[in-house]
Amino acid sequence: MARARVEQRPAATGTSLVVMVGLGVAFLLFMAFLNVVKSGNLLSEPNLLYAALIFYAGAGTLYLGFGVTGIPSYLRYASLATWVGLLANTGAVAHRWYEAGHPPFSSIYEMLLSFVWTLAVLTLIAEKKYGVKIIGTVTMPVAIVGVVLMQLLRTEVRPLVPALQSTWLHVHVTLAMLAYAACALSFALAMMFLIKDKMKTETFLAATSLFSFATYAAVLTRFEKWGGLSLAAWNPEEKSEIFLAKGVRLFVVVPDLGWLMLLVLAAVAAPLILYLVWRKTGKEDIISIANRAVFVSILLQGLALVFFVLRARDGRYGSLDADGLFPTSLAASPFILSGLVGGIFVSLLYLLLLWRREDLERMLPSADELDRITYRTIAIAFPLLTLMIAAGAYWANRTWGSYWSWDPKETWAAITWLVYAGYLHMRVTRGWRGRRAACFAIFGFAVVMFTFFGVTYLLPGLHAYA
Amino acid sequence: MSLHSHESERFDGVAECGAQRAFLPVEKGKDMAGSVYSQVRKMWQTLASIKTGVILLILVVIVSAAGTVILQRPATDADEIQRAYSPQMLRLLDGLGLTDVFHAWWFVLLLALVSLSIIAASLQRFPHSWRFYSRPYKSPDDNFRRALPLQAVIPIGEEETGVSAAERRLQKAGLRPERMVRENSFSLFVERNRISEMAVYIVHASLLLIFLGGIVDALYGWRGFVALTRGEQSSQVKQQNGNQRNLPFALRCDGAGQENYADGTPKRWWSDLTVLENGRVTLRKQIVVNDPLVYRGVRFYQASYGPTGKLDKLILTATPKAGGEAQEVALALNESLQLDADTSVRLAEFIPDYVVRDGQVYARSTDLENPAAHLIVASRKSGNVVNVWLPPIPGFEQNSSSPYTFEGKDVQMAHYTGLEVSHEPGQWAVWTGVILMGVGLAVVFYFVHMRIWVVPVRDARGQLVLWVGGAANKNKDAFEQRFRKLVEEIKSEIKIQSMSCAQAHATSLAGD
Repeated sequence: MARARVEQRPAATGTSLVVMVGLGVAFLLFMAFLNVVKSGNLLSEPNLLYAALIFYAGAGTLYLGFGVTGIPSYLRYASLATWVGLLANTGAVAHRWYEAGHPPFSSIYEMLLSFVWTLAVLTLIAEKKYGVKIIGTVTMPVAIVGVVLMQLLRTEVRPLVPALQSTWLHVHVTLAMLAYAACALSFALAMMFLIKDKMKTETFLAATSLFSFATYAAVLTRFEKWGGLSLAAWNPEEKSEIFLAKGVRLFVVVPDLGWLMLLVLAAVAAPLILYLVWRKTGKEDIISIANRAVFVSILLQGLALVFFVLRARDGRYGSLDADGLFPTSLAASPFILSGLVGGIFVSLLYLLLLWRREDLERMLPSADELDRITYRTIAIAFPLLTLMIAAGAYWANRTWGSYWSWDPKETWAAITWLVYAGYLHMRVTRGWRGRRAACFAIFGFAVVMFTFFGVTYLLPGLHAYA
Repeated sequence: MSLHSHESERFDGVAECGAQRAFLPVEKGKDMAGSVYSQVRKMWQTLASIKTGVILLILVVIVSAAGTVILQRPATDADEIQRAYSPQMLRLLDGLGLTDVFHAWWFVLLLALVSLSIIAASLQRFPHSWRFYSRPYKSPDDNFRRALPLQAVIPIGEEETGVSAAERRLQKAGLRPERMVRENSFSLFVERNRISEMAVYIVHASLLLIFLGGIVDALYGWRGFVALTRGEQSSQVKQQNGNQRNLPFALRCDGAGQENYADGTPKRWWSDLTVLENGRVTLRKQIVVNDPLVYRGVRFYQASYGPTGKLDKLILTATPKAGGEAQEVALALNESLQLDADTSVRLAEFIPDYVVRDGQVYARSTDLENPAAHLIVASRKSGNVVNVWLPPIPGFEQNSSSPYTFEGKDVQMAHYTGLEVSHEPGQWAVWTGVILMGVGLAVVFYFVHMRIWVVPVRDARGQLVLWVGGAANKNKDAFEQRFRKLVEEIKSEIKIQSMSCAQAHATSLAGD
């Protein structure tokens, strides 16, 4: 149904979108320029970051535009926009580095800055060297979300606490960023392999719905009685979370937001349930209902995002742990925000796949080639992971006097390492290729994401700095 | 030797091949000893299989993950754990060792099994790899030549010139071909990075080395804490398990401090430390966070810094009531000072945070909040002893009868520097293992073992050809491109040579 609807639209000509994006970029740059005239400093970090955002957004639009229309010239312009965005991003990184006097890895903001930069570089490498032209469809939106998140986080250069003043820390974090970016790339490649390998679109439906479902289920762990959602409180003057005691955050309850999240959870569960029914009964019309349910769930997810942003952006709410009203901010809940955005993004990707699968497949290298490149990215990621853990252990040994203390982040880094070690062993000794290897690579990346975000967010430990 | 066995043995076939050989010397059921032997053998086989390895790894992953989700004992306070879990639940978790997963006996056993599995698997596969490594297959036979996937044939006129043309070309490509002498001619063999076949053993060995370091540290290592104030020295360390440990040397703190950024957040903590052995100074070092002092394998880390609640120096001005110059005096606790020929002052008490209750002076805390000092001013001639309190506390002070008036100027509190102490004799094995693993992984992933054979043969129609074959153990597509290019180059080299040969022949004919 949805497919038919799209095809009834007049086909966009090759130039219209490029012109639109170009005008959009020009307009935004002009607005930025007006701002610059006011402030008088052209090459400041926020300006550079803003420029990067504009061009990444343009690139993302063009990549997606290619996904929807299949016009090859979009890719050329998209890649050009990525180059310009990367240039601005590099400027921002350099500026930050110069101003802070240390490589930009010491706060979540700086890590995101470096991560986005690495992602853009890897995107261009994958495009130029390996010919995976549409990888930007996945990576650019991630980069955009990263830059937007950065706007919410504290940006001032903060002095380093003594434990962080170590070259080994920089080595450790650089390696971590590189390793994680390589893992992200292997994930994207494995996904593309599955597309090229004629994996059923319905399976992607199940996977994307499962992702959204898991996201909302995770958000709903913060569900409070009578429909509230508890969020970390935020002190706008200090630009930091409010702590009751060392390591104990104060949470405020935003009323009614919990109900909305519960509703969206039901909406994203619907396609999943329909898929399971389809598996049981095999009726094709159930799948078309499920596809429509995905569409509905995207609208509801958008609604949830809007309400979340409106209510959590600022405002004062009561808390269960302390008397009085406390402020909160989007910056206090970056993970929920990125989860919500990620959910929408993943669902949109599914629709893209549903409508434009053939065009996507045409643009991809052969399945064998993708399989090999996935393996090769992991062959890069694995030694980097090893060295990352080693550098971290060495730093810990110099700082706390023990190279391994089984803190959750360490343990999960080791688990990640074991998972990829498992992948390599299965591939080399058991000859795992193709779909099984791709699924393993995807699983590995899920573990990486848990180590990166989940551990910081859900499990307590020494890695409180990042 | 058929190609199939030759190539596939290297991966999948290794286990089976090893297993067969392992069973050969054992005749089943011959006697009891033999059956026990075979049982052990069988267990060894199971341990060496990749399946066991993967199951063990999955177990390690699950258990470690559980250890990060369940609150762990030494790291979390006892009452925090009690608050988090119900008493029955806690008893169950404690009983299973799940509140200290990473030090539980079964976790250690699991790691030991993983190590054994790695050893068994490596030992089983090693002999085959070693044969492959130590006796490279240089002169391919007919079967091998037929089955090799990557090969090409180049027609040549004459064996000798064709092969030497190929040799020249290979040398030009930066390879070092080896001449394999046959009955009446020779073939060529080139290889590179044969070590790549053994790298996986380097990685496995390095992992075991890291484990070994960890075990040594778990058995013989210790951690402790020592707090020193300026000028204090100690050779005793309080270990984490509560015991005292005597060091064969003493550590003295010559000073410690904190520096702040402009916004008040700490920038740097430092301690000047001196190591004394039998009373002699043997080492001095200023340590900061991230840069410990190491002496005889014992490492001292800057861990904390803070006030002790004790006084270092109290600075006062003393003005004689009879008239005269005011003088500044600095007093430590119980220190006496002569103010003039007759009068002396002693600091009898210093209370950093005093409170008066029920006619008594109490210390409320050790923080410098509300300090009070008790001075005793004594006159030698008259034998008068006067209690002076700063600030004057009614009921205690006799300030008016003192020959001097005192005014507090400054209170310098003593600070302690907290040092973490650790002894990790196994860490060198760990770091060696890490470096070895880095090298091993680099070789495993980036050093391709490539082999090229060049053999002059007669093809099915009796035409003399140069058979060129190539094999690589990884990155096969890139190698194939390189191989094809090499073959093209050899072809053109042979063509040029035969042309120049023909020309030379022609000129020599003309010369006749």
